[in-house]
Amino acid sequence: MATKRQKDVWMSEINDIIRGACGGFLFGIPLLYTMEVWWIGSLAKPQLMMMAIAFMFIVVYLLNQTEGFRKRRYSWLALQAAMDTVEAIAIGLACSTFVLLLLRELTLETSLKESLGKIIFESVPFALGVALANQLLGDSRNSNGKGQKPDSTTSNKKDELNATFADVGGTLIGATIIAFNIAPTDEITMLAAAASPPWELAMIATSLLISYGIVFQAGFSDQQKRREQKGIFQRPSSETIMSYLVSLLASAFMLWFFQKLTFSDPWTMWLDRTLMLGLPATIGGAAGRLAI
Amino acid sequence: MTQIEEPPKRSIAEWVTFSIASFILAIIVSLVGYTWLNEKNQPPILSVTKKETIREIDGQFYVPFEVVNSGGDTAESVQIMAELMIDGKVTETGEQQIDFLSSGESEEGAFIFTKNPRQGQLNLRVGSYKLP
Repeated sequence: MATKRQKDVWMSEINDIIRGACGGFLFGIPLLYTMEVWWIGSLAKPQLMMMAIAFMFIVVYLLNQTEGFRKRRYSWLALQAAMDTVEAIAIGLACSTFVLLLLRELTLETSLKESLGKIIFESVPFALGVALANQLLGDSRNSNGKGQKPDSTTSNKKDELNATFADVGGTLIGATIIAFNIAPTDEITMLAAAASPPWELAMIATSLLISYGIVFQAGFSDQQKRREQKGIFQRPSSETIMSYLVSLLASAFMLWFFQKLTFSDPWTMWLDRTLMLGLPATIGGAAGRLAI
Repeated sequence: MTQIEEPPKRSIAEWVTFSIASFILAIIVSLVGYTWLNEKNQPPILSVTKKETIREIDGQFYVPFEVVNSGGDTAESVQIMAELMIDGKVTETGEQQIDFLSSGESEEGAFIFTKNPRQGQLNLRVGSYKLP
């Protein structure tokens, strides 16, 4: 009993962190794909970075007092909100560093000051997303399995094909909402030019992992419903892969729509650019599936 | 699974993640503090060097270069010029612009000439920059 309780404590803590990170990704990914923010970070003076950290702390603290990324609330205790704020900022710093490394915007050659600036300025929207995690996708699941009984009549009515179409539709809507903002910008071209095959594989792995995390791990509102939803691809692993492919297709289409890709371009260019846009698209797609 | 009513205090797991989080934040803050204290208040110092090998492909000569900012501030729009002098007169020129070059950063690129640079004198220089 004691060990089970211990395990639960760790599980819920890990889920809290994952939920925070997913909220951060939803909110922060468009700015992680914005070169102006990289530049502002590159040029920032240390004084400005300190101010950014202080500003981030205050805003995230205020958000944590009302929402936060944890299921349980400590809103009556200022100290607890402050501790959550430190964690939210740390999640933001860690995740934005990771994505910047993945996008090759941070390399071993980048100077310390420039790296710090980029990381800090990118982690501001990220930390805000962490603090808004519960707000972004609702918060109706209070415990594992309890109070989230799926409506059996509706799930019976829906046949498998309908559920699958609903999934694909949700993925498409979410992917379009987030990736449409990024597709016409120059960043995709720039990032794709710097990407080498091993980095692209890492990009694919990260996209799948974040997509899985948002839909099946983070404990956002409709997670329980999703696990029980019927559909052709309704196992978490196959659904994640399937929706990634849908997001990639949507990305390729959006890049073509904005003339970032034409049919005369070599297929490697299609692959590079589509994979680059695939990460934000799949994050949006995951959110879209939760929202439907 | 039964729902366990958590007492309103932090579990060990939460203390562990909080310590890791504080550690990450402390590192970042101290690194910013470190760069603040070690800030060199001097303008950019730019230098451009030819890299060792010149490649010849299809009658074109690729001359790689590296530009380094060893000063304090970041330089924007760094312009690099190349002039190929053969028999005392400028036969070919090249120009390249680097968007940003922060302190300690280096960027690489190449100039392409149709005449062999080894037959004459090749001058590389930084033409200009602007402050952001």
